[in-house]
Parts: sequence; C-alpha cells; structure tokens
Amino acid sequence: MRRLLPLFSFLFFLTFLLVWYLDARQPDPVELIPTLTGQPEYCITCHADLPEISPSHPVKTFGCVSCHGGERLALDADLAHSTMRGGANPSDLTVVEESCGGSNCHSGSEANDRHHIQRVMTSIQSTYAGAIANIRYTFGAQPDLNARFGIYTVTDEETKTGIKSLSAFDPASEENSFIQQFGANCLTCHINAAPREGEAYARQTGCAACHSPTSLSSSEEKQHSLTTAIPYAQCNTCHNRGNYDLRTMTFVERTDQPTNRLQDYYQPIAQFTKCEYTLDCVDCHTRNEAMGNGDLHANKKDIQYIQCKTCHGTLDELPLTKTLTDPNDIAFKLDFLNPIMDLKLGDTIIITEQGEPIWNARQLSDGTFEIVGKATREHFNFRPVMGTACEQNPNEQESRYCHECHAVEK
Amino acid sequence: MTNLSRRDFLKLVRDGFLYLSGALAFVGFLRFLDYDPNPAQKTEFDLGLAEKYPLGSRTILPDIPALLIHAESGFTALSLTCTHLGCTLEPDTEGFTCPCHNSRFDAEGKVTHGPAAKPLPALRVELTPENRLTLHLT
Repeated sequence: MRRLLPLFSFLFFLTFLLVWYLDARQPDPVELIPTLTGQPEYCITCHADLPEISPSHPVKTFGCVSCHGGERLALDADLAHSTMRGGANPSDLTVVEESCGGSNCHSGSEANDRHHIQRVMTSIQSTYAGAIANIRYTFGAQPDLNARFGIYTVTDEETKTGIKSLSAFDPASEENSFIQQFGANCLTCHINAAPREGEAYARQTGCAACHSPTSLSSSEEKQHSLTTAIPYAQCNTCHNRGNYDLRTMTFVERTDQPTNRLQDYYQPIAQFTKCEYTLDCVDCHTRNEAMGNGDLHANKKDIQYIQCKTCHGTLDELPLTKTLTDPNDIAFKLDFLNPIMDLKLGDTIIITEQGEPIWNARQLSDGTFEIVGKATREHFNFRPVMGTACEQNPNEQESRYCHECHAVEK
Repeated sequence: MTNLSRRDFLKLVRDGFLYLSGALAFVGFLRFLDYDPNPAQKTEFDLGLAEKYPLGSRTILPDIPALLIHAESGFTALSLTCTHLGCTLEPDTEGFTCPCHNSRFDAEGKVTHGPAAKPLPALRVELTPENRLTLHLT
C-alpha cells in the first residue's frame, strides 16, 4: 500500500488539475450583494446587460434571486437556471406567491393595498368563471348562469359578491362533447394560459401578461420590463384577436393584419370607443376592472363598470370627483408609479361610482377636465355633458348609445 | 555513506515528484476549502479626518449609504437605506425620499409617508485617537 502512495498522490494532483481546468473555463464571477437579502449573487456575471426591470425593483436592492429564484452562486448556466421559478417568468400564477408575494410586496393586506396577488387570483381574467358558466349553461350542464367553476380552485372567505368559491373546471369530467371541446380549444385567453402561437398573441403569463408588454419595441424591454403604462396593443394579445365559433367550439383567428386602429382594427363584434380611439384601454378601465378587486365575480360584466358618464357625467350630473386631501391617497401612489400627472394635494380627480380614482383625469380651474394617456402621455381636454345640447337619456349610457352621435365619422 | 544505485536514485526522484504534485494539489484543495462564497460584509468605514466635516455639516456618504451629521453634541449618522425594502434614499427639501416606493423620511429620519413603517436607524460614529472618524453599521 505504501508503495502506491506516490501514485495516489499524483492521481490527486491530476484530479485537481482537471477541476482547475474546468473551473478556469467558467467566467470570473461578478458579485452583487442586494441590500434586501445581503446574500451574494453571481447572476450579473452573464446578465449585466439586462436593463432595470422597473424603478421600483432596482437590481442593487432586489438582486435577481429574490424574484427569479435560481442558484445564486452557480456559474454554469444550466445549474444557475435549474431552480428558477416559472422559468423566465416568475410572475406565472403557479409561482407568483413565492416570487412576488410577501406582506411588504404584493401579498400584503387589503388595507395597505398590497393584496395584488389575491386580487389577480380571484379576478375574472384568471378564473374565466363567466365564460365557463356561460358554456356550461348553454349546453345544459348547469341550470343557471351562476359561477361554479374556475380555471383552478379558488376561495374567497370574505366574499362581497356571494361567491365563496369556485371549483376547478375539468373538461374531461363533462358529459357534453361541446363543453369538452370548449375545454380543449377555448381556454387560451385566461391570464395564466400559454398564449396561442403567433406574434399577435405574444404575451407572457401571470402578472407579466399585462405588466411586461411584449409590444414594446426593444427586445430587451420585452424580456425585462414591468410597467403600469400598458398600451392597448398588449390588451389586444388576448382581446380582439378573433372569435369563438360556438358551432365548432373553436377559436377562429383573425386573418387580416389590421394596422389602422380606427378603420380596421376592431371587429364588428367588439364594442369600441369610436370617439376616443386615441386612448389606451387602461386610460379609462380601472385597476379593479382589469385586475379584480379581491372578490370572486360571476362574469366580466359584474366587474366592468366604466361608462361614458363616468368621466363625462350626464345632462343632470357632473362626473363624480374627489379632491385630494390625504397625502397617502392611492392616487398619489399610482401617479408615482407612472409619473404622468404630477398630482398635488388640492387637485380634483374623477372617481368611479365605486370610489376608485381615475387618477389620470383631473378637473381644471375652468370646470373642464384633462385626461392624460398612461402609455402615450398625450393630454386631452374634455368638458362635462351637463350644460351642452346633448339630449342623451341618462339611463342609456352604454357606448353604443353615445356613439350614435359621438363617433369620429360623424 | 550509503551508495545509492542509479535505480534507487531514479525511484527517489520519481517518488519525490509524485509526492510534490500531491502536495501542490493538497495546497490547492485547502485554498478551495478556504473559499467563502458568503463573505462577511463590511461593517466599518473609515471616514477620514474629522476636520473634513465642519460643525453644522450634514454629509451624505453615498457608498455606505449614510448621512453624517456634525452637531454641537458631536458626530451622529443615519442610515440612508430605506426601512421598507432596502432601496437607497435620495435627499429632498424635507428629508429623504425612496425612489422605489415613495417612502419619505424627515431630516431626523422619522417616517412621514409609507410604505416604510420604521424610522431610519442611527449608526454609531467613533472618533479615533488620531482624530479620524469610523462609522459602524452594526
């Protein structure tokens, strides 16, 4: 044995050389110690060129791992990425609680307006409860339009809508073949579904489906951006891309390549603000409408309540407004995240009937209003209906009524 | 003196070489074991001579980040790391603002606007016999 000792010694040396050689092929680690975790990460060794994802999530503070997961000290790409949450998208709803949650982040209390994840998980965009209920009712699987099923099981113990829970929709357990086909062909639009193939449908899942717009021009921005300035083109990755054919229970894609938003972008079936087509969807539709308010809802109509009169008022009433007197008002927070208004204490903004601020619509000193595009930053001035020659019935406030007079072509 | 045969000599050289290679690998191995992927972070900062900071001055130390205050009562310091999630605060006319989530603190470090809930922690400043200032994070 003693005679073999020099040989073992040399083998040890060779092993060391091999390890050293393999290690030398790795890049020199570039260390980042985020203040939030205090734990070194080597991610920026390869990802130094990625832009900051948003001013609220600077890499110096958050690092990469607190959101993305992964092996923070690995220099081998496969190993480093092996434990990432949600692949490249940590906001996928299957992992969002771990990635974006936490009481100081997006899973805190309703009182602090930090229950974003709970809102999204119960929102109609995630549960798809209305579409499922409609199809099941249409084909006789349930006696009414009440929501019973969602994409996944979800509960709302403090329900204000009367819907305490939804069971997971399982198309395979349905007896009707149309409902089965619906399950197979028509569930690509809920927020956590993988999108259909094609550039027009390109979006991510979870929070990033809306907040990481793929329609932004730069490819880097596409991959690494979080914003509340969401252009309408992002909404269109789901909305207005085609129709469901109930006879064949398939999704029929649009075949045209629309370019002019007013003339040919919207399909006949879609209601469209023909007088305000220069605005983006998020300029009028509120956070609660788009992201949910934390309650389970039976269908889209139950949570979508913006009407023309919300901003324009009626013949008898001015739009509802609120003067900002509390520096902690949510309107200031939203303006901070997307600084387009420079709101100040004493400013008067429009609010919905539910009290939600339309923080980008401010009353001017002459009684008229301005609205600023959240994505475009364009300013538009408008005046209330009251005092004008309009003869609109206050009970007919859907856009189709207003568009009888107020459309660009008229 | 023992006569070393040529054969024994070559064997000795060979074994010596092999042992030496093993020893080299062992040293490398020890260095590998010694590598600390989570080195302790710096908690002490030499701020230089105290006279650099005149009475009444409030100096932002961006690399720490901290605010060094020289008052009648002596030197004190405030952390400029936001107590919400750890972003570096920026000075404004009323105190400090967090560029990440808009928490605000007055000039004394008290919270004036959330989401931060805790005031900015005071940091210990020491004057050395050589009249140099040392700031301690802990």
